Amino acid sequence: MIKRVEVNYRGIFQKTLGKYIGGDIVQIASRMGKVAFSNGRYSDSPERNGIPCKYFAFVSPDLSEEELEAECGAKLDIDEADVSVVVDDTMVKGVEPWGWHGVRAINEKLREKGCLLVTSQHSHDQLLTFIPKQPFSWRLATVEGPASLAGLWVYKDDLTRERVLGALAAVDPGIISIEAVESYLLEKTKDKHRAEAARASYDATLRNMRVVKAGEGAEWHHEIPRLPTWKEFESGGVVVPAVPRGFTMGPRGQSRNERFLRGTTKSHRPVVRFDLCIKCTLCWYDCPDECFDPTDDGLYDVNYEVCVGCHKCAEVCPVPECIVMVDELKFDNNDSPWEHHKRDPQGYIKWAEEKKGLERIHYPHVTGTGMEIREGKFVPPKPDKGGPAAGAKA
Amino acid sequence: MATVAETTNVWANELLLNGCQAVAQGVKLANVDVIAAYPIRPYTEVMDQLSKLIADGEFDSEYIVADSEHSQFEIVKHASSVGARAFGGSSGTGWMYGFEALVVAATDRLPPLFVVGNRALDDPGAFGVEHNDALALRDMGWLLCWASTAQEALEHVLIGYRIAEDNRVLMPMALAMDGAFLTHSQHMIKVPTQEAVNTFLPPFNLGKRVLHPDNPVSIAPQVNEDWVMELRRQNWEAARRARTVIPEVYKSFNDLFGPRYANPFFDEFMCEDAEVVLVGLGAVAMPARTAVRRLREQGKKAGYVNLRWFRPFPTEQLRATLGRMKGVGIIDRNFAMGSPDNGGIVVQDIRSCLYPLTKRPVVTDFIGGLGGRDMSIADCVRMFEITFDAAAGQQRDELVTWIGLRE
Ligand code: SF4
Ligand code: SF4
Repeated sequence: MIKRVEVNYRGIFQKTLGKYIGGDIVQIASRMGKVAFSNGRYSDSPERNGIPCKYFAFVSPDLSEEELEAECGAKLDIDEADVSVVVDDTMVKGVEPWGWHGVRAINEKLREKGCLLVTSQHSHDQLLTFIPKQPFSWRLATVEGPASLAGLWVYKDDLTRERVLGALAAVDPGIISIEAVESYLLEKTKDKHRAEAARASYDATLRNMRVVKAGEGAEWHHEIPRLPTWKEFESGGVVVPAVPRGFTMGPRGQSRNERFLRGTTKSHRPVVRFDLCIKCTLCWYDCPDECFDPTDDGLYDVNYEVCVGCHKCAEVCPVPECIVMVDELKFDNNDSPWEHHKRDPQGYIKWAEEKKGLERIHYPHVTGTGMEIREGKFVPPKPDKGGPAAGAKA
Repeated sequence: MATVAETTNVWANELLLNGCQAVAQGVKLANVDVIAAYPIRPYTEVMDQLSKLIADGEFDSEYIVADSEHSQFEIVKHASSVGARAFGGSSGTGWMYGFEALVVAATDRLPPLFVVGNRALDDPGAFGVEHNDALALRDMGWLLCWASTAQEALEHVLIGYRIAEDNRVLMPMALAMDGAFLTHSQHMIKVPTQEAVNTFLPPFNLGKRVLHPDNPVSIAPQVNEDWVMELRRQNWEAARRARTVIPEVYKSFNDLFGPRYANPFFDEFMCEDAEVVLVGLGAVAMPARTAVRRLREQGKKAGYVNLRWFRPFPTEQLRATLGRMKGVGIIDRNFAMGSPDNGGIVVQDIRSCLYPLTKRPVVTDFIGGLGGRDMSIADCVRMFEITFDAAAGQQRDELVTWIGLRE
């Protein structure tokens, strides 16, 4: 018998976390007398910031190490998962890894009765508005808390690792037992708080696991790409169609690589208050992924399908509260915000302010000034922008 | 007779290590004096781990980050010439970029050890395993062997230095291991004690040739037409002597650490009564041996030869083992475009090795797993089936079958 665990993590920010969890499972299972090993999906190897990646752990009570390795180790991806761990809940919207895999459902590999274990502050029902339905029943459990996002290559020691291990023992004790998790943590770290965190998470997970019925969940629209045979593409290694030069004005006007959009890379997306924009061009100019489309009225629309959530635009925008990064799970589509603004300027401001709220995201700064705004404020619309008069409540 | 492993404890502990980390542990245990590093995946993690071991105070070694693979390999070669135990490594096109320095390490008869995390040769960019990088050394006077597990990788750093530094050999050593499947897979690995390693691996002594202010020697002078033939013949003699030294070293490894390697040059799995075997290098051994077990359950006399040493090529030993078979299928995780029958590199050597036999097995060749493509148990079963059919006399248009190609 083989138990398979995958850990979906955000490239670089959570790389060490993913690898540690995989390695911990191997060491705990070994202490329980089982055979285990761990590896990562190697095509994720050149992880870029935020790219959805996978680490795996394979555990068997009865196979030899060689047979386990032969079954699981010589493959690039997992066949099916008993547990899919997700250490950043925004990945429930789908994951497009490095390489040509297309946008894939977060529970694509989950087997019947398997468990999707997500670190999240959202409820099961909220998460299920994004997670695709399956023809069989499966389980959903959460480890309550924000995503543990560290800086580049760094590991954030905030007990997420220990709590995921405890929750894993709760959702599938056939992989690792909570007693083995506790004794491993105690022996390895000599820190009883770590074992206690695992146990508390174990207890909480047992209490709040949710069975998801067949057919329950969101519709899924992304097709798995079919790669061409050797006779179907140009010789000489030209396998990526070139992105045509130039652009047209308006939404989706930029030329972009249609095969690899990368939008699932983001944990947060920029929300733009077009009425505050002074048309300085900086967001458009500095966005590393050319997500901004110039419009006829001198504004810059955002294409959320390609935005990777790097925070650069929010950092360079000189106008307070004009571009604000917001939790990706607050959005259920990638529609053009500029079109929304044109259609209904006041409604758009109200919508944008609701999404923004007043809490501002703290994020590992990797590109910009490191400037941190902890609390947002409401800036009234400018009177000449078609919005309500200055000072009016939105 | 009880081995030392049975009477004293030669294993210090078991650690969770991937292939790269296992190599780094081996380098630490071998007490390497000079490490030169330049990053390229999948080798990069070897240098990362070594720098971490040094930074953590666990290991004391001269660690130099070079500006390119070419400089990196030159540093390693020069360090070796002053009598330092030296270590380097690379992958794919990085390895190819340093080739000039690799070639001269052999002609200068210096014994550093390099690890090659096998990687496809770009373009387009690819990180997965393919063996052409390491195999490009095959004619250059190097020792060249493959590890098929992380445990073997650690052990072959020690075995490799011992063979390379033997004064009958003095050749550079390349230890190849499959990118991803071996380099980046974490397993529980047994780590030997320092005392056991010290017993097994004596300090490096270059003897009279050591470059030192007190011992001025001239290395690599211009020799032109008057000397090259004789130098080549010396290289050949060293490679020939290595064929004797290698079994001696494995015997002493087995005596100390337990009977881990029955055959130094290649592992024979269920070959004794086999009629058809596959021959491969590296991590494909795992699915291939599992395929053998499954075929045996169906009564098929299958076996697997995990070819460890490619240079020096174990001609006599392979001829004896493969000569008994009805069919031999070669798994070439490499390509040799335009070679006889458009086969891989390994099949050319094996066919040539079998040629003097009066009764030769039927040979087939498989090109598969290029650029890191999966090689599953089912793929291995399929290769066996084709080889069984060929051995039974089924005519084939081509020597070579591509496995796992989208067509
Ligand atoms: S966050 Fe802003 S700068 Fe970064 S990719 Fe998205 S739109 Fe571009
Ligand atoms: S950076 Fe801000 S102010 Fe400047 S164009 Fe972009 S949205 Fe407008």
